[in-house]
Amino acid sequence: MGNLRSREPDFGERKVSVSTDYAIETDELVKVYDTGTRALDAISFSVEGGELFGLLGPNGAGKTTAIRILATLLRPTSGRGRVAGFDVAREPREVRRRLGLAMQTPTLDAFSTGRETLELAGRLHRMRGEEIRRRADELLEMMALGGVAGKLTGTYSGGMKRRLDLAAALMHRPEVLILDEPTEGLDPQSRTALWEELERISQAGTTMLLTTHYMEEADRLCSRLAIIDNGQIVVEGEPEALKQGISAETVVLQIERNGSADEVADVRRLLEGMVSAEDVVDHPAGVSLSVANAGLAIPGLLRRLDGNGVQVTGLQMSRPSLDDVFMKYTGRRIREEAADQPIIMGW
Amino acid sequence: MAALSGFAYETYYLGIRTTRRFTRVPANVVSIVFFPLIQLLVFSQLYKDIVQLPGFGEQTSYLAYLAPGQVAFTALMAVAWSGYGLLIEYRSGYLDKLRANPIARWSILAGEMVPLFFQAAMMAGVVLIVSLLLGAQLVTGVGGFLLILALSGLFGVSFAGVSFVPALLTKSEQATSTLSLLLFPLVFISTAFVPQALMPGWMQVVNDYNPVTYVIEAIRTLMVTGYDWGAIGTALLSMVILGGVLQAATLWAFHRLAD
Repeated sequence: MGNLRSREPDFGERKVSVSTDYAIETDELVKVYDTGTRALDAISFSVEGGELFGLLGPNGAGKTTAIRILATLLRPTSGRGRVAGFDVAREPREVRRRLGLAMQTPTLDAFSTGRETLELAGRLHRMRGEEIRRRADELLEMMALGGVAGKLTGTYSGGMKRRLDLAAALMHRPEVLILDEPTEGLDPQSRTALWEELERISQAGTTMLLTTHYMEEADRLCSRLAIIDNGQIVVEGEPEALKQGISAETVVLQIERNGSADEVADVRRLLEGMVSAEDVVDHPAGVSLSVANAGLAIPGLLRRLDGNGVQVTGLQMSRPSLDDVFMKYTGRRIREEAADQPIIMGW
Repeated sequence: MAALSGFAYETYYLGIRTTRRFTRVPANVVSIVFFPLIQLLVFSQLYKDIVQLPGFGEQTSYLAYLAPGQVAFTALMAVAWSGYGLLIEYRSGYLDKLRANPIARWSILAGEMVPLFFQAAMMAGVVLIVSLLLGAQLVTGVGGFLLILALSGLFGVSFAGVSFVPALLTKSEQATSTLSLLLFPLVFISTAFVPQALMPGWMQVVNDYNPVTYVIEAIRTLMVTGYDWGAIGTALLSMVILGGVLQAATLWAFHRLAD
């Protein structure tokens, strides 16, 4: 149980899982719905214990389907998934014991209070009364919900619901925490606060899998991520490595107009041998260059241009974003995707 | 044994929540009681003289004859609404949250049925009290009163599948309430309104296998003649058989949520 005097929340000891080194593992997971939609098309990825792994992709890419299979809510059509060392289809109960889950929208019983919500979560995981009280107090304090613990969750704000939902998922100190779009619909302030909380939970050793369509979120939180599109993983790696893999940083040069009709052509000619011609393009502020490493390239560029009478009056450099990574592998911007949820046709 | 004690433990804690949901909302109590009460009031006046027909035997008040059937009917009205709670939790995603917990699937369903038991019992109690005020009799007193409430509650739970199965399969409120209307003919072809002797031949055959009739007759003996354990036992047996079949169907529909 750790040091009782510790004021830091205690996430408990985690047993090392049997038969595999991975906390989460999927092998050629396929999900075809009754409607014929192929939501997952042979997805394979592995998450090591303690990692914070992200599935990044537009709405409808298959992220939620993957998560629902790993959370034992959905049967895969084929392929295998393992969580905490247990097969999600054949040993769902063992998986459920070790799993904490928070869904895309907080799923709370509006007619229970915050404390009752946590108590039920503890009961269903067979925690003892005394332990439940202690753990609930600890989580309510950690999530800054102490003041509203006795109020019905139906009266909570969006951010409070999120935090309570997360607290309920953490009650039994899960080995693996699965979060579907954890900050969807939150205001920027609540989002930043929740990120900090997730970072603390991750640092305490809990393996986390989260889905997101926010680049910034994936970039900040994830130690590793997979970009998923149309039910397939298009690329996987550490955010830094993925961005470096694009090998393109952008330098925008503002140039003193000296009467030349075609500045781009001038710059192209002058920089021959340093930057290939197709990487020099027009830009509203001047001329834009793509280079592998802007910091290394800039002094040389400036010397060459200055020595040839081109006055550089301003300079901007930008590093590639995950958005650029997504663009490179899918040919689209993630933001362009409409949030088109399928309409459920019932009868 | 372990499975059974786990079931009891899980149903207890899940039942606390669902009952809370029921008690903390001004529920549709009125709408559930309304229809049977109207029938009780109107039919007992409209068909007042029907008791003079030979099939009614010694019964001299049609209201007294009608009351047990309306008590049972009220329990069925509670059933017709019960799938709604499940649908609301399905839509909000709460049902998925429960499914991701290390608990038995049948505990989740049983937890959803706990408030139905209390609801059916309480509503039946309201109708019973009103019929007593109007002049119906209850020869078994307080003991019989409580037994009638328990029978009504169990009756509701045994029929729950009629609302739960369509709710789980169609996920549509409209379909659920429409299919629940199929319960009504079971009441009409029971001894709720007239004794079996007054029914056409084919209805008598249906009536022989109608679980609603067995429950109504058990309630009727408790109200009119006294403790008849044979009638009560038959009613319980019919509920166990029907409940078993419907619960199995409900569990099957529940497992389909993972497709």
